[in-house]
Amino acid sequence: MNDYIVELKNIQKKFENVFVLKDVNFGIRDRETVSICGTSGAGKTTLINIMGLLEFPTHGNIFWEDQNVIICNAKRLSQMRAKIFGYIFQRCNLIPELNVIENILFPKRITSKISMPDLELAKELLQRVRLGGFENRNVWTLSGGESQRVAVVRAMINRPRIVIADEPTGSLDEKSAHITMDMIINLCREYDSSLLLITHNQLFAKKMQTSYILNNSELKPFDYAKSEQ
Amino acid sequence: MNWCLYLALKQLFPTGKRFSFFSIMSIIGVALGVMVLFVVQSVMNGFQHEIRQTIIATQGEARVNANNGVLYNADSLGNFLKNQSEVAALARYAYGIGMLEYNNRSIFPIIKGIDFENEIKIVELQKFIKKGNLQNFDNRSIILSSELASQIGATVGSSVEIYSPMMLKALQTNEIILPRTLKVVATYETGYRQADENVAMVMLDTVQDLYGLEEGVHGISLKLKPDVRPEKFAFELNKNLTYPIHAASWQEINKDLLFVLKTEKTMMFFILVFILLVAAFSITSSMTISVIRKTREIGLINALGGTIRQCEACFMIQGLIIGIAGSVIGIAVGALILKFRNDIISVFVKLCGIEDFMLKFYSFANMPATYQLGDIFTLVTFAVVICCLAGVLPARKIAKIKPADALRNE
Ligand SMILES: Nc1ncnc2c1ncn2[C@@H]1O[C@H](COP(=O)(O)OP(=O)(O)OP(=O)(O)O)[C@@H](O)[C@H]1O
Ligand SMILES: [Mg+2]
Repeated sequence: MNDYIVELKNIQKKFENVFVLKDVNFGIRDRETVSICGTSGAGKTTLINIMGLLEFPTHGNIFWEDQNVIICNAKRLSQMRAKIFGYIFQRCNLIPELNVIENILFPKRITSKISMPDLELAKELLQRVRLGGFENRNVWTLSGGESQRVAVVRAMINRPRIVIADEPTGSLDEKSAHITMDMIINLCREYDSSLLLITHNQLFAKKMQTSYILNNSELKPFDYAKSEQ
Repeated sequence: MNWCLYLALKQLFPTGKRFSFFSIMSIIGVALGVMVLFVVQSVMNGFQHEIRQTIIATQGEARVNANNGVLYNADSLGNFLKNQSEVAALARYAYGIGMLEYNNRSIFPIIKGIDFENEIKIVELQKFIKKGNLQNFDNRSIILSSELASQIGATVGSSVEIYSPMMLKALQTNEIILPRTLKVVATYETGYRQADENVAMVMLDTVQDLYGLEEGVHGISLKLKPDVRPEKFAFELNKNLTYPIHAASWQEINKDLLFVLKTEKTMMFFILVFILLVAAFSITSSMTISVIRKTREIGLINALGGTIRQCEACFMIQGLIIGIAGSVIGIAVGALILKFRNDIISVFVKLCGIEDFMLKFYSFANMPATYQLGDIFTLVTFAVVICCLAGVLPARKIAKIKPADALRNE
């Protein structure tokens, strides 16, 4: 028995008879930080979409605390998405019709009602990503780095068990990529969330406790320390 | 607040922009349709109401007649009717076609004989008099409609000659009855064409004399007490009347005209509803475009815990909001237009320089308009339902979206 909170077992995914994932076994532990790297088109996004319950595998099972979620209905799945996961995508993370604070509180709005403490938390988190005072800014006035940091705050607002970040710094310059990445790692540590990170950046991957590489539709553990020797 | 409603409102009225072009245009489209329908219906209601009032004012609310034959026992029937608790007043009448001649010009109007003392309790004759007055009205005088008077060139004070069919019959037995000379004491206009075109009024006994009816009349017209429904009254009364004597409400007597008016209103509704349909089509097309544009956003909302169904609901709600907002604005603007309708018309008329023309053909100085809550209700329901339906197609597009693919969408 391992202590994974989410576990993928024997996952296969085909797109039009082409295997993107072939018999992948993978899991993430409480408060663990994991990185996945791999060439473009290897299927990294597909893998974490399956883990994040955004996509179904062609074969295989997904377990959340030993409950098979493949058999859950759409409503239950969306509840799990909202409660368990916080997502950060590469770009276009925000809803343009809402301002910064409304975007951040939107997941809360979906799961429950917004209360004073939520507002306090949102403001505090904004302070933490150095966006204090940005509450009422319209999202189209934000720079790329600022939007990503707003997305980070939004991912944290429901205090997720797992933060899934798909190349969150992919469209940022190196300096702001570092700043943003450190914020993600620190916030995850502070709020006891696991972190699943897809990145091409070795420096970031090295900061994770566990690293994987996705190659030829297979997922293998990868040790940066060894590869450098 | 439910988040679907919240997002729908935000998509229509985004934070930070004063308005969204799409929602304003859609709402204006619906409002225009609702407004036009509302105004046209109200004006038609107004005219209809006016016509009904005129009919009642000129004909009374009900009539009892002998299947269009002559009624010889009018007195006992009159007493019977007088004893009905619903009856406020009654008056006998008789009529026939005759030839009127003045200055060698002749016309063939309906000569209506009225029981003057009682008739004025039913019909406000005085109100319709244009020239002359009723004080001198006796069995040697006649009241013409303005139109008849102008056709033969007669005015108040002229003496006209009246020939009845009786005179022709008399000729067969080599008798000669001389035409009756009557003095025009007044001219009238009711505003109701049927009456204005072709009716001249004389005393009842003049008609009885001219047509050899003796004591017979053609019917009795009735004025009912307030709150008595003429149709119901006539129906109940007929249970106590024997053939050929028959009571008819004004609605029954004029049922063809009333049917035409009603059909006119319904047809107008159907034609104008197309404005709303066009508005709905444009809502559908712009919403569909916005669904395609927002594909990624829908994927994102899905990742944040919303279901695809809820995203569909969000778009349907947008349709609903547009429908409701459009209806409210449409009714409000419509009510405003109706309130100032006469000012608007007079400005329009002056701008076009057709003032005299308009006043001659329509008495537009006071255009009638009444609105009925039932009409407003139907109209608003219709508009809202159409707008909701406009959201259906975009919503079905959303149903086909796969969240993972939507998120890959750039
Ligand atoms: N809906 C789909 N239909 C067909 N093929 C698809 C679909 N979605 C993804 N693919 C294919 O699956 C493969 C894996 O895609 P995926 O997005 O997971 O790659 P990735 O590792 O995230 O690449 P990148 O680093 O460029 O983001 C690609 O070859 C892609 O073309
Ligand atoms: Mg990817």
